[in-house]
Amino acid sequence: MTFNKKKLYAESASMIADMGLRDKLSKEEMDFLLSLLDVVLVKQEQPQLIQTLRNWMNTNESSEIDEIIKATFLAVDFTDKESMEQCLQLVTELLENRGE
Amino acid sequence: MISEIPEEYLFDLESEQRVLSSMLHSEDACIEAYNILIASDFYSPRNAIIFELSCSLFLREVRPTLVEVLKEGHNLGLFNNPRDVEELKYITEHFIDDENIKYWIGKVKDKSRLRKFVDFLKASHEVLIEQQGADVEQILMSAEEKLTNLTALEIDDRVDGPADMANLGYDEVERRFLRYKNINEVNKGLIPLDGLSTGFDNLNHITLGYKPGDLIILGAQTGHGKTAFALHTSKAIAVDSKKNVLYLNTEMSREQIALRWGSILSGIEHERIRAGSINETELSIILNAYSRLRDSGFYSYPCPNLTPEKTISIARKFKAQKNIELMIIDYVGRMDKFDPRIPEWQMLEQIVKTQKMLAQNLKIAVMCLVQLNADGTMQGARRMKNECDLMLKLTPIPREDFELSEEIKKYLNPNYYLIIEKNRDGRSGVSIPIVFDLQKQTMKDAERISQ
Repeated sequence: MTFNKKKLYAESASMIADMGLRDKLSKEEMDFLLSLLDVVLVKQEQPQLIQTLRNWMNTNESSEIDEIIKATFLAVDFTDKESMEQCLQLVTELLENRGE
Repeated sequence: MISEIPEEYLFDLESEQRVLSSMLHSEDACIEAYNILIASDFYSPRNAIIFELSCSLFLREVRPTLVEVLKEGHNLGLFNNPRDVEELKYITEHFIDDENIKYWIGKVKDKSRLRKFVDFLKASHEVLIEQQGADVEQILMSAEEKLTNLTALEIDDRVDGPADMANLGYDEVERRFLRYKNINEVNKGLIPLDGLSTGFDNLNHITLGYKPGDLIILGAQTGHGKTAFALHTSKAIAVDSKKNVLYLNTEMSREQIALRWGSILSGIEHERIRAGSINETELSIILNAYSRLRDSGFYSYPCPNLTPEKTISIARKFKAQKNIELMIIDYVGRMDKFDPRIPEWQMLEQIVKTQKMLAQNLKIAVMCLVQLNADGTMQGARRMKNECDLMLKLTPIPREDFELSEEIKKYLNPNYYLIIEKNRDGRSGVSIPIVFDLQKQTMKDAERISQ
């Protein structure tokens, strides 16, 4: 990791944790965002997750279906490959259904 | 006077932060710090907590990144205040390069020892004030003992006094007496092992197994079963006894090692498995065989650029995370040199010394495979022999032995000798006839023909 990336990583992680401690994020939201940060900057894995999140963010209308998608993301276990695959499949289906 | 020592002389927060930051960025730093430091070496209680959190994650095979430490600390209720997060962020920004980790660890350790020295001075000062009539000799002796412990660098050095030696001796004899009794009463003559099974009954009988701290050297010529022996040993320990083994291979790929297992565990010829020339029944036999490997304690680490230093780091990691009992290096001749200018024999000697120290420090058995010259001799053999506890040679039985040796005729189809060149704990100079099936990559004791 380059110096700038390390700096960005430390800043982002502490900002997320800080928001969690100040109750601006729920524990689930904090855990998800921290794990996501690790996946993107440290492990550099899960390109499909990033793409699915992007797709969702571009179309998020805070509807009921968006709440279901958010809950699905928050429930995912980043260390369990199967859980991640199921989550991505479910979110993709939900996004497709909304588009129809 | 002691109280005049400036407080800031007794700690070095920058070094503590650099070590922790390095642990949060690099696994190698984690291994190094985990092995050398303890939480009480940190002056700052906050730093000690972060160190403990990082070690606990590392032991659970979770890479202790900043994120993981934050989550763990939050879950355990250790980080409740935004200031805790700010401090942790500040620590992670003390980036250092991996190669400097030993320097910073040394600084943390030195300050920790210095604090212990100051505690010793304070305690001695109190003794002088409070026990003015006490025996001077006794005060000095007690102080000397404490000071010696401080300067011993916390290495596991110990001197056995007469009573220690007598107790140790009696305990050992009693253990052996009970074991012998057990052999006769319960096991009906079968000798229980002191260490890990070697995979050969006759070798087990002579060595009582590979014990923690043992360095075992196995020499064989190219194409004469070094890897087969390593995997046979792994099978006995990791598959049959379900104990954890780390196998470092310097020349084979993951696929090649995996395919060898198929043959060893199924008993189907290696060439046919490699070519895929098997029928459906055999495929199902192989599937079954791999299910035994799945449940085993075999960990493989193919590393073409293995160096002696890297073996230390890998062994420490696997000892901490998987509690390995044996590490096999296949083979030392392929390891990268410390220094390209040094001759081959000197390099082998250095490697072997490192591995012996590693075996003793981690209390595991280490097996090094070495290549024999075409004439059956071993490069640097004398020096290697000095270092190791057990030196074995795997060599084809010479044609003349089949014709002239009455002993060899008492065995069913032997084709190789497993020669015990050195055995620190027992008989040596023994040649054990074995059957090495090159096609199936399997080995076993040659059976004695019943009279």
